[in-house]
Parts: sequence; C-alpha cells; structure tokens
Amino acid sequence: MGMDKQESVKKLFTAQSAKVDTNRGDAYYEALYVKCQERLDALKKLRPLNNRRDFLSTIEDEGLERRDFLKWASATTAMLMLPASFTPLVAEAATLMNRVPVIWIELSDCAGNSEALLRSDGPKIDEIILDIISLEFHETLQAASGHQAEKQMEEAMEHFKGKYLLFVEGAIPLGMNGQFGTIGAKAETFVDHLHRAAEGAAAVVAVGSCATYGGIPAAAPNPTDAVGVMDVVKGKPIINIPACPANPSNMVGVILHFVLTGQIPELDSLLRPKFAFGYRIHDNCERRAHFDAGEYVEEWGDEGAKNNFCLYKMGCKGPMTFNNCSIIRYNEGVNWPIGVGRGCIGCSEPDFWDKYAYERPMANANIKAPTGGVEKTVDQFGLGLLTAAGIGIGIHAAASAIAGKKENQKEEA
Amino acid sequence: MKKIKIKELIEKIEGEAELDFTIEDGRIEDVKINFGFYRGIEEILQGRDAWDALVITPRVCGICNHAHLIAAVRAIEDGYQNAGINLLLSEKAKKIRSFTLACELIQNHMKWFYMTIVPQLEAYLQIDNRQNHALKATYLSSTVTKALAIFAGQWPHSSYAIPGGVSCDPTHLDLMQAEALIDECIRFVEQVLIGMDMAQYLDISSVSQLHEVGGDLGRLMHLIGSSGMATLGQSYDRFIVFGESLLSSSGKSIATAVSKVDPRYVQESAQDESMAKAVTYKKRLYETGPLARGMVAKRPIIKSLHKRYKDALLTRIFARMHEVSLLLTESKRLLRELDLNEPSCTLDIDTRCADFEGTGIVEAARGSLIHQTEVSGGLIHRYEIITPTQWNLSHGSGDEHGIAVEAMIGSKSIQEATFIFRTFDVCSVCTTQ
Repeated sequence: MGMDKQESVKKLFTAQSAKVDTNRGDAYYEALYVKCQERLDALKKLRPLNNRRDFLSTIEDEGLERRDFLKWASATTAMLMLPASFTPLVAEAATLMNRVPVIWIELSDCAGNSEALLRSDGPKIDEIILDIISLEFHETLQAASGHQAEKQMEEAMEHFKGKYLLFVEGAIPLGMNGQFGTIGAKAETFVDHLHRAAEGAAAVVAVGSCATYGGIPAAAPNPTDAVGVMDVVKGKPIINIPACPANPSNMVGVILHFVLTGQIPELDSLLRPKFAFGYRIHDNCERRAHFDAGEYVEEWGDEGAKNNFCLYKMGCKGPMTFNNCSIIRYNEGVNWPIGVGRGCIGCSEPDFWDKYAYERPMANANIKAPTGGVEKTVDQFGLGLLTAAGIGIGIHAAASAIAGKKENQKEEA
Repeated sequence: MKKIKIKELIEKIEGEAELDFTIEDGRIEDVKINFGFYRGIEEILQGRDAWDALVITPRVCGICNHAHLIAAVRAIEDGYQNAGINLLLSEKAKKIRSFTLACELIQNHMKWFYMTIVPQLEAYLQIDNRQNHALKATYLSSTVTKALAIFAGQWPHSSYAIPGGVSCDPTHLDLMQAEALIDECIRFVEQVLIGMDMAQYLDISSVSQLHEVGGDLGRLMHLIGSSGMATLGQSYDRFIVFGESLLSSSGKSIATAVSKVDPRYVQESAQDESMAKAVTYKKRLYETGPLARGMVAKRPIIKSLHKRYKDALLTRIFARMHEVSLLLTESKRLLRELDLNEPSCTLDIDTRCADFEGTGIVEAARGSLIHQTEVSGGLIHRYEIITPTQWNLSHGSGDEHGIAVEAMIGSKSIQEATFIFRTFDVCSVCTTQ
C-alpha cells in the first residue's frame, strides 16, 4: 500500500463517522421518561386490536421465564440506546405492541426479509411477534389468499387509515410504466400499489436494501429502472432499515420505539435509525483487535483465517458500513458473516451491489466511506395515538404449536 | 358446451402467480400460469467480475438463496477445472456445504408443509382447526437455520462458500452446538411431524406400513386419502435430476425406468406472455424436485407409493416431507464425520482464471438448479440461471402441456386445481428472476 493510500485509510478510520449522542444528560432522559410513560398509559387505555393475546400470558404459555423476558428487554433498551432505567418501560411497550396496526407489502424482492423476520430475535420473540404485533396484513403470513386477501388489505387500509405503520419489502420497478412488477387480479403496478398503501399510513418503513435504495434489482444496468421507497413516496415520514436481509431486531426495534414514544426514531441522512446505523461494523467488530495489531487474513484458509484475524485485506467493507450486526448478529445471535471468516459486503450501504460486491480490497475499490454529512433529525415527528378494535384478519397466533411440544415432553418425563 | 375463463391469484408462495383457467363443462380444460414480476438478474450479472455472482445470485430468492450460492460457486469451480486448473476440495469443505444445503431444504419443506399445504387443505376440506401451523414452521426453521448459520454466518443470503472451499473454520464447540440444534429438530419432527421414532419411520418401505406414521404428516395423508384426493394431480410421470446430492444421484425416470442425463441437452426458451422461460430436456418436459429425487434414487417407500398412486399429489407431498427425516439423519452423520484438521479452502489466492465456461448444478428444495457462466477477461459475458420451478411450471411446448398444467387439467374446481398447483412448491421469484 502506498503512503498516500495509507494516509487516506488512516483518515477514514479516525473520521467522526456517526455522531450518535448516547448521553444527552439527565434532564433530557427524565423528560423523555415522563413522555414515554404518558404515551404508554394512553395506549393501555386502548383495547388491543384483533383480540390479540396478552403478552405476559403468552410468554408463560411459551414456557419462558419472566427473567428471560427482562433480559431481552434490557438488551433491547441498550440497542435502542436508552439508559438502563428505561428497561421497565421497554418491557411494558413490548406488552402493548398489539395496539399498533402494521401492514406489510412485498414488491420487487426475494422475500428474504420476511424470511429473516420469521426467525427474529429474543426469547422466542418470533412467535411473540406473530402473536402480539397487530400485523393487519402480510401476504405470506396471513391466513387468506387470492381475492380474499386483497379484500382484507383494502379493509385494513380503510379501517386504520392514518394510523398504521406500512412495512415495505422490495424495490419499485418504474421501467415500462411499472409493468415489470404487478400485483393482484387487476395487475396493479407495484408503484401504484405502494402509493395507494402509503396514502393512509402514519409512517412508511422500508425494510431491506431493495426497499431502501432499489437493491439488487437496481444494480447496473438496472434493467427494470428499480428505485427505493424514498424515491417514490413523498410527504410521509420514512424509516429505512437497509441490509440484505434487514436484521429482524431492527424491525422490532423500530416498532418498539414507535410504541414507546409515539415517534419514529432519530434518523441519519439516509433515513436510517441511528440506534441501529449509528456505528460502523468496524467499530464493534470482534476481530478489531487484529486490525489494530496488523494481523490479517491474506488468503482463504490460511493461518490467519484459522486464527480469526482481520478480514480487511480480503475485502471486508466493515470500515465503511454502518450497521449493528457486529453487536446483535444474525439468526438469533448465533453468528454473522465475519464470524465465519467472510468479510462484510456492505449490504446496508447505498449501491453495495455495484461498489462493494465481492472481495475487491477496499484500497483498490475506488469507493469513499460515507462520513457524516448533513444529518436530518426527524424525531420531532409525532403521531397520533392509535386506536380501535380490529377486524379479525391476519395470523391467529396460538400457543398450541409449541404447546404440542410441551405436552409431549410431559409424557416423556 | 359452455366455456368460461377465470383468473385466480395465487399467494402464500414466494412472490405471486396468476392462473388463468379455461373451464369447460365444469372441468378445467387449460391453465395459463403467469408471473407479473421481473428483475433481470441475468442482465445485471453481465459485465461484472466473475466472482460477483457469489454475492448477487443468492439474492434471486429469499428461501433457496443458499442453493444459488452453491450453484454459483460450483459454476466457477467447474470453469476453473475446464480451464485446466486442478481444484481438489477437501472433504471437510464438501461436507460443510452438504450440511448447510440440507438445512436449507429442511426449513423450506417445513414452511411449505405448515404454511401452505396443511392450512390450504384444511380450508379446502372445511376443517376448522384452531392450531397455528405457521408457528410450527417458524420454530423448526429458525432452529435449523441457526445450525446453518454456525457455518454460513447468516441465513438468508450468506456468502461463506468460495471457489476452493469455504471461508469458515469451525471448532469442536461449533460442531457440538450444531449437533444439539439438529437433535432438537429431530425431536420436534418425531413428536410433531411424524409422531414416531425417526429410525423406525425411515425403515418404512411400503404403503401398507404407512398407517404407522402419526403426527401432522400422518393426519394429512389420512385426510387426503379419506377425501378421495390421493390420485389427483397426476402429470406425465417423467422425472429428472441433474445434481448429485445426499438424496440421489443424477438421472431421469420415465415410468420407473431410470437412465443417465447430460446437462448439455437442457434447452431454455422464451414463452409468450410470460416473464418466465420454459426449459426442456431433449425437447421434452420433466418434473423436478423431491419426487424426482425419490424416483431416481429408487427409494422403496416412494416407489411403493408411486406404484399405487403414480405421480399424484399424495406421492408428491409425501416425497417432499420424507426428505426432512432423511436430511436430518444425514446431516447428523455429516457433523460426526467432519474432520476439522482438513483445510477449509484449497484454492491458492494467486490462481485466478480470466477466461472460462462453467456449469454449477445443485439439488435445491424444489429440484435441480443450474447456473451457467461464461467468463472472458475476468468478466461475466453470459450468465444463465435455470431454476427448478421453470421445469415444473412452464406453459408447455407443442402439443404437450406444462407439468403442473397437466396435473391440474381435469380438476373439478378451481380450489382443487390450485391445491394441486401448490403441491409443486411454487416459487415465482426464482422462476422469473
């Protein structure tokens, strides 16, 4: 590496990249605490949607200890970058998730984010999500299909007008007047479908890199002229949760934050929640010590690889990628790409498919790290309280699936 | 004679499909399968670095992404071999890849069964069941993908397989953790899916013993049998398998006669009014997938079911769910046999090949997945992805209907036909890419 490159790399790693303020002082947090409490009290007065089950009894039904739940709550509090004193509020917010209606639509995608959501984080939180979040519409997860499902989505949109969170998975192909992606019996284009669904949404959450930036479909030469949600939807608060797939913990985090505060979380300039995208992979990487010590993997399967050395020279994009995978990892925390000796591909950054794709080492990759820039904070945004008993669609969660298992275990005992 | 045309939207698959039925005298006479969706992945790959396919192609599909990764890595390895580079993968790398692929197939089959087949059948037969089957699917698939992630880093969309091997270097602790997860899956399958000991279950070789199977699989088989549906959904009784896997070797089976195949005779062609391409072998259509694997491997229980019900939906559904137990047993064996002292990757970093043509074949959940890459000057000149669903769901050619279309023709109702359609485990995102 030449001197000039060395210098630029050094600069990159010391750049003040994220500007996350994790300590805003006692006065700020005390005020926020009171505000959250008021919000939760107001939510508590509402009836749960769709006769969803009670969260705590659900946990008991699933055979989980309350202690496990509190462990999850304190980890989630930390993830949301709130002081430990907020743990009881986060726990309470989780029990009130059934007051917030969510509609989930899939556009030009591979369904990978839904797949990831299904194996979400926490104490069996995946089941609890299916139980508790008022998922008013999700194509893959709901009971109905075909014309019936279409009708249910119409009804949910009408009934919860102005109140639901719209989760969008997938890019929006604009080419050929949107004909590269159509949905439903009327062959509505994805772009029209999104406009219609976003119209009555309180906020739109783009899940995954496709919904955020256009993703793989938008890779050069972008055959279908695919774009992200923020390029299409205007005049609505948008939260981006990029990565491929998006981390389910961050999806849950956004909903929890909304339940807790009635607001969308603080966002960076790419509209990503700072609690998840405030740091680089590199900042908290388990192999960081090896980077600092100059110990690198030089070739797949070498001694360095066996000793879990730093993957920077193999093209790891951790230094320029903002995401919290190095902390919360994937598949219920079992592992993450760097854990198996594969460098980060920067999948939560714009254009990763063109700029970062494989193992081109960073110094030769002709890329610039996203550093700072103008960061808009959208946390002034407030949403009205959410209401209403729901119409009975979506998933009827049941303890019985896992209960079957428990019964059997008893028989064995 | 009254002819009517009805459009039906099929959801709860990966993506969405539309079926246009032509109904005559109350029976389905023809079906057109349409997918209103296109991303252009093959176009996107052109002009890119040959290795970029390893990151791009898994993202074709959220549910069989791992199969795409393995097909992409095998296409490059095959190309290197063709260019004269001797690539010898370690047994360790091969076994880890087999293991992770097995995990992906298991999660797919379980989701298909509990999120599609069981609820759809119950709805069709108007059985009121308060159980949430989806939770059974998520419990097992999250457990088995955790085992997968120990080696692959994450699921979906991992990239740990690299030409020459794998990037991971697991420890004994990792193996213990993976084995514990597989054991938990086996326990769940024994108690919930098959209702009996797995070893005993795998010993079943004839239809006459199938009544021993309990659990949700036993219940489903019983429901299908008692409602007179067992023989519905027959197609041409022609099967094809291109990949070598834990489950079968390659070959084709026509009315139980098994013979060899050569992927060079695979032909892809565009179809009118569809974004999906059709695919044939020596100009004939074949069914691919678990039933094909069972037939080509001459697995006794599949042959026995086939003898009685031919390639009807009962045989097709059972063949898929049977793979769950086979794969769990095999994956446990793989973990035990893994020799951690072997190298993970055997390709030297300086060995790079700029001009090559290669084919990567893998047995994915829905059948044979083929990647073909043509590289010149280090850049992809042409990339072809032939997915299993293209075999099963094409419109047909000449005077022959497509495989799934033939299976649906003659159905008494649209509901019945769409259920038959779903037994093929449809994936629209793979089909049109």
